[in-house]
Amino acid sequence: MKTIGRRDFLKAAIAAGGAAGVSRIIPGAWLESARAASPGFFESEFGITEALCRKVLDKALSKGGDFADLYFEHTISNYVGLEDGKVDRAFGGIDLGVGIRTVKGDQTGYGFTQELTEESMLAAASTAAGIADGSAKTAARKYIRPSIKNYYPLTSLLSDVSLSSKLPLVKRVNEKCFALSNLVIKVNVTFHDQQKRVLIVASDGVKADDILPLNYIYSSVVAEKDGRQERSSWNFGGRQEFSYYTTDVMDKLADEAVSRAIILFDAVQPPAGEMPVVLGPGITGILLHEAIGHGMEADFNRKGVSTYATMIGKKVAEPFVNIIDNGTNERQLGSINVDDEGTVSQRTNLVEKGILTGYLHDRISAKHYNVNPTGSGRRQSYQYYPIPRMRNTYMLAGDAKPEDIIKSVKSGIYVKDMSNGQVKIGEGDFAFFVSQGHMIEDGKLTRPIKDVNIMGNGPKMLQNITMVADDLEMYQGGTGRCGKDGQSVPVSFGLPTCLVKSMTVGGIQEQGA
Amino acid sequence: MIMSKEMIDTCEMVLKTAKEAGAADCRVAFNKSRYVEVKYRERKPENVSEAATRSINIEIFVDGRYSGQGTSDLRKEALKSFVSDTVKSARLLEQDPYRSLPDPKYYKGRTKTDLQILDPGYNSITQEERHAMAKELEDACLTAGGDKVISVSTQVYDVFNEETILTSNGFSGEIQSSVCFTFAEMTAQDEGDRRPNGYNYAVGRGYTKLPSCSDIGKEAASRTMDLMGGKKITTETLPIIVENRNVGSVLSGFISAMSGTALQQKRSFLLDKKGEKLGSDIFTLIDEPHIIGGLGSRPYDGDGFATKKLSMIEKGVLNEYFIDWYRSRKLGIEPTTGGASNLVLPPGKRSVAEIMKDLGRGILINGFIGGNSNSNTGDFSIGITGKLFDKGKFTQNVAEMNIAGNHIEFWNKLSEAANDPWTYSSLRTPSLVFTDVVVSGI
Repeated sequence: MKTIGRRDFLKAAIAAGGAAGVSRIIPGAWLESARAASPGFFESEFGITEALCRKVLDKALSKGGDFADLYFEHTISNYVGLEDGKVDRAFGGIDLGVGIRTVKGDQTGYGFTQELTEESMLAAASTAAGIADGSAKTAARKYIRPSIKNYYPLTSLLSDVSLSSKLPLVKRVNEKCFALSNLVIKVNVTFHDQQKRVLIVASDGVKADDILPLNYIYSSVVAEKDGRQERSSWNFGGRQEFSYYTTDVMDKLADEAVSRAIILFDAVQPPAGEMPVVLGPGITGILLHEAIGHGMEADFNRKGVSTYATMIGKKVAEPFVNIIDNGTNERQLGSINVDDEGTVSQRTNLVEKGILTGYLHDRISAKHYNVNPTGSGRRQSYQYYPIPRMRNTYMLAGDAKPEDIIKSVKSGIYVKDMSNGQVKIGEGDFAFFVSQGHMIEDGKLTRPIKDVNIMGNGPKMLQNITMVADDLEMYQGGTGRCGKDGQSVPVSFGLPTCLVKSMTVGGIQEQGA
Repeated sequence: MIMSKEMIDTCEMVLKTAKEAGAADCRVAFNKSRYVEVKYRERKPENVSEAATRSINIEIFVDGRYSGQGTSDLRKEALKSFVSDTVKSARLLEQDPYRSLPDPKYYKGRTKTDLQILDPGYNSITQEERHAMAKELEDACLTAGGDKVISVSTQVYDVFNEETILTSNGFSGEIQSSVCFTFAEMTAQDEGDRRPNGYNYAVGRGYTKLPSCSDIGKEAASRTMDLMGGKKITTETLPIIVENRNVGSVLSGFISAMSGTALQQKRSFLLDKKGEKLGSDIFTLIDEPHIIGGLGSRPYDGDGFATKKLSMIEKGVLNEYFIDWYRSRKLGIEPTTGGASNLVLPPGKRSVAEIMKDLGRGILINGFIGGNSNSNTGDFSIGITGKLFDKGKFTQNVAEMNIAGNHIEFWNKLSEAANDPWTYSSLRTPSLVFTDVVVSGI
């Protein structure tokens, strides 16, 4: 059942240490082999010719409309899991279908089918066409593939990696977790991979295709000490090649999962109240996703429902604050080569030197505002129509040193890790749940903290960012998901260490004197 | 509506193919579904969608190994190779001695009552009616919102589902179901750049079982007004009333710790607490699978067990966990059922208004934001919005405040259930009163 539109961010895991933005040297050949694999897939496998696409698009425009588009998708998903020491479960699936959309102004007609037959597609196109009520238009006669760069090339397809290659990885993580500490009592390890092939054909002559990998290795650890149990988890992944999953990565994963579980025995829920909050680098970028990201999605703004609707051009933060939403970061989970409407991906500035510069646009919003779309039109699958979504949302590095930021706080908290967040974009009120962190007392990190909800207001929080360090890190995992209007898409985030001078900490006791 | 023979025939073919490929056992589930959605904004359709899906999911048990796969490609030859490929790849896994199809004795005794999971009126819904409902929702919301309205959106959505499940050890089940949903949301102009967004909705098996669209639209506007001027106040210990429709946001942290998976994998704060009193006498939760038209109603559960009423928690005492077949084997205990059907917390006698007058000062919580619950420790922290009342009357709206606690203690503060059970959910709870809760703010 489709759910009520809420600006939720669902479960995400935790960023690794390690510098972000370090580009790897990649040999040139991969570009050709990955490119060669993808165009023509739907034609050779399912007979989807250009002529057929034109026919279906014409049907979608049979009552007029500004444009129509077809979104073909073939997705293979696999999951293999270890529980109680055995790799004894695997699940998977194949999903195939096409979504057909007709757009007229800000109105959308939509239908989809899992049968890629002419008859079935024409019926879905007819459903979509019903949103308009004018005279028929026709689709373009010529289709051009835009020049698309590849931010996640594959030298071999994930669907060619057998189950037997994944088993040893999963087992190694399990063995390592138990070896790291005798407090560990339960370990779960899973390896997920997904390979999504898409073909987008739009009636104004754009034809774009892509192969999107999405994969991660995940471990959850329960530790027991003095009759108490604590649990934590970690994952590494993104849009990786299978060769990314080395024994080093497996060992690092075990390290992170175990150490994060064990520290919780010393952690407390912090006191409640307003206080300065230092955010450590990496996954804490969820803060930006909730505090400003959703509020900058153009559909909310053209409907006037976002608190940022009248703030373009205004100063919203100090001049050292620069916030980006980018679809072109190599291997990052939120990266896309082309969006789900056929617009080539890009880097979009949200806040430049403290000034709010631009929204995230799909085609409908771009037309409304008379600007170019920003490559932000995304959809969960062929079963949904696209809407403005984020990709990789992060803040550029500043000049301060992270140690100086911590030293500057007399009494507050340091946030290392968040599990989830949510925002009400009209008020700008957001919340995120802290799963790992520390108290800060007299400029030093002291007791570990856990399990506390932190709240704030987007525009107020931006104004209250008073220090930004030079240590930008991006999330290094594969489980980041954003939910909006009942659709989920993979996203990523990043942040340098920064100080927000006041936020509301939902701790457990009334803040003492 | 009569189910077509096609689905049973396809499932039988899948079972046969699995056996021929060497599987010892197999479960196959064939699902077909059709949905229709109409959204309105600015007095015209904003989105109109309609589509149908189908999928086959199989679970294979071969050589003591287990695997599951799903596909939407139902062409006969594609299905056959899908099944044999799944059997082949299952053989690559390690053995799991606890995996098997359930003992068929649990399949027996299925209720014969028509639970009206498919609403009798479903088939006669027309597209014109859907548009009329969306318009009525919108008109009512716009009228009630008046000059405070920045934007109103409405949605009418329904889905029809057919399911056939067969297993190689004699289970056979067929269900047709419908779910209908009406929704209205409004964004209002508050002070400065604040634009509170409120909404209202109803869900049920049929549109005729829901409140009128004009009532829903009108209340969406009033719930939006309840967010205007929301501010945080100083931290205070006081009673809270959690609105019936929002109880799940707090209760879900307790319920998820009752699952067999959480218990067996040692991530539950309820481990070894069966039989203990963990809440007040008001804290009773009954799993009721046979409520006519209930959103969680079902004749059989995910394992195929014939469903029956279960007292999960009674007057604060934890009676049962949610144990499915697999976890029952791993834990070495009797299974109950893998998950909740309709969960009922019995209502009390007084209305929320009467309770407020009695309490004097407190906060009625009408929304939650963010937050989470630690399933190992029971600690939780969650943001709230609400309406502060004093001397029994509402004085101001609050926002950016938080409640935090631990489930082991929290449900002892449950002092009363109001007389207003929320039936537009499979979690059917009335508004609940908790005393001495720290609500943190300034």
